[in-house]
Amino acid sequence: MTETASSVAPPSRLRALTGNNEIVLIVILAVLCVLISIGAPQFYSVENVVAILRQCALVLIVASGMTMLLIAAEVDLSVGASLAFSGVVAMDVTNKTNSVLLGGLAGIAFGASVGLFNGLVVTRLRVNSLIATIATMMILQGGIYLYTREAVQNRHSIRLFTDLSTGYVGPVPVPVIIAALVFIACYVVLRHTMVGRYIYAVGANEKAARLSGLRSERLKLGVFVFTGMLVGLAGLLLASLMNTGQPTAGRGFELQVIAAVILGGTSLMGGRGTLIGTLLAVLVLKVIDNGIIILRWNQDLQMIVPGLVIIGATWLDLVRRKSDAR
Amino acid sequence: MPQSPDLALAPRPAPSILATLARRNEVALLICLLALIIFFSLASSSFLTPRNLTNVLGQASLAMVAGVGVAIVVMSGEIDVSIGSLAGAVGIPLVTIMNMTESLPLGIAGALLLALVVGVVNGYLVAYLGINSLIATLGTMFIIRGGIYLYTGQRSIPDTAYLEEFFQLGNGRFFDFLPYPALISLIILAIFIYVMRMRPFGRQIYAVGGNPEVARLAGFDVRRVKFICLVISALLAGVAGILLSSRLGSAVHVAGLGFEFQVVAAVVLGGVSLAGGVGSLVGVALGVLILSFLSNGLGMLNLATEWQLVVTGGIIIAAVAFDEFKRRNQKQ
Repeated sequence: MTETASSVAPPSRLRALTGNNEIVLIVILAVLCVLISIGAPQFYSVENVVAILRQCALVLIVASGMTMLLIAAEVDLSVGASLAFSGVVAMDVTNKTNSVLLGGLAGIAFGASVGLFNGLVVTRLRVNSLIATIATMMILQGGIYLYTREAVQNRHSIRLFTDLSTGYVGPVPVPVIIAALVFIACYVVLRHTMVGRYIYAVGANEKAARLSGLRSERLKLGVFVFTGMLVGLAGLLLASLMNTGQPTAGRGFELQVIAAVILGGTSLMGGRGTLIGTLLAVLVLKVIDNGIIILRWNQDLQMIVPGLVIIGATWLDLVRRKSDAR
Repeated sequence: MPQSPDLALAPRPAPSILATLARRNEVALLICLLALIIFFSLASSSFLTPRNLTNVLGQASLAMVAGVGVAIVVMSGEIDVSIGSLAGAVGIPLVTIMNMTESLPLGIAGALLLALVVGVVNGYLVAYLGINSLIATLGTMFIIRGGIYLYTGQRSIPDTAYLEEFFQLGNGRFFDFLPYPALISLIILAIFIYVMRMRPFGRQIYAVGGNPEVARLAGFDVRRVKFICLVISALLAGVAGILLSSRLGSAVHVAGLGFEFQVVAAVVLGGVSLAGGVGSLVGVALGVLILSFLSNGLGMLNLATEWQLVVTGGIIIAAVAFDEFKRRNQKQ
């Protein structure tokens, strides 16, 4: 989106920095912040802002990978099930080895191998990724109960493990730092490296990309594995946050992540989308969640309002694009 | 435009090629289904009994009814993922109205009215506002599920009218043989197979899904076709929801969670392309039956439900991969 905008007209600074859809999201975010702070002045307290950022962390980590995957014209619906499973694996291995490093690596490796499996099924067996990852989701949901019937409790009590999600560096929570690092790394890769350009190219027109010498299968496989790794990382953080490996965690997580990515303006057809949009969308969704809590509204609205926002923002974007085209 | 009559005729020859391709796909599915049935009847003595086979048809009916609707939407080039939430939601007006009026028809009318409203909203968002259908129906999926939780306070609403007809609808058997849900699903399936093959509207759906631009030039109202498809899908999800709540005997707030995944899996397994324009309802029915027989048969082997999930997932991947493999070989 940014690319076409910048090639048509000499881009203004703001335009170059933010895609079109992002302007809509920034406006929505600003309006939300103003409205919520009118109803609840404590919205702007440091604690609340930190709390919002902390809640963004898990979704943002996985959504960064998912954005790349959607740009490459694939999707992964197994992230919720994989999140729970990697958390269980991380906790279990840490229990058995008394080493956070090994436990963390095991969790991330598990996530990555799920990504590898998805990637191989999609690129080698040519199964549509929507259906392939629904199947993986089923396999993982079944598999996790075969692995453990109940939650894996924390039996090692290592400080470092819980610090991963509850610790602070200065005023900033550790998961926020991790999420920020992941986000920046993804942003740099997608915007400033050849791999990033290739991902856009493969998503926009796989045939053309392949004819010009790109190994599109390999690239897609790589993105699947990378997303899987991020899911493993998020699973580790989740296990640390809940202080258990919970097999039922992560229900509906895949929908949260995908909702954020498409709200951020990434096209489901591939080839279009930005990570900034995803970041803004995650913020919008989590500010809504937070607003509902501090305004003491019924928490069931936490499903309804995001649904309305997703539809509304997409519609606003369509309207805006139509008026731009005139 | 002088050439428009020619263009209007253009989709005619295409279905015959499509139909032959689809038929081949259906044969593969049928073989797969028969192989499953043979395997399970050898492995378990209680599998191949009329009682169990009709039971499976009853269990398959929910996915069958909703699957027909989703398949039509996918054939028209869109998707509907709000069906799970909707199937759960229609139980609320159904049970509430029945509790108040002690009348099953009024309850069903209320349930279908809710489904109609959701279908109109989905259809309007997708067909007339032009919002991507995955986004729009994902949005309504959240809104409906949130609405259920909000209205019920995350509790089920029990059926206090105890109407015999309501119980019979989901649990009774036609002539003490075929479960009513199975009968209803087969009737709906037959009607829509007829519509998709023989009626102009069915052919329009294929045309619109195959190439909307060409369909528009041929004089079809693309938006109207997509709108109607989404309304049909919502209504059929409503019917599935009514059968579901009769089986559960109440309006359960978590009913239909994940149902959309099951149905989409069955539809794609049945050979409907997510790109639109390709697929047949016979294939969809076979896809639903394969998954239902699989879950029933694995249950008969006393396999834990967890294993059932794992095996089902594996078979979906294998089946779709095999289908792709076959298609690539045919091309060469």
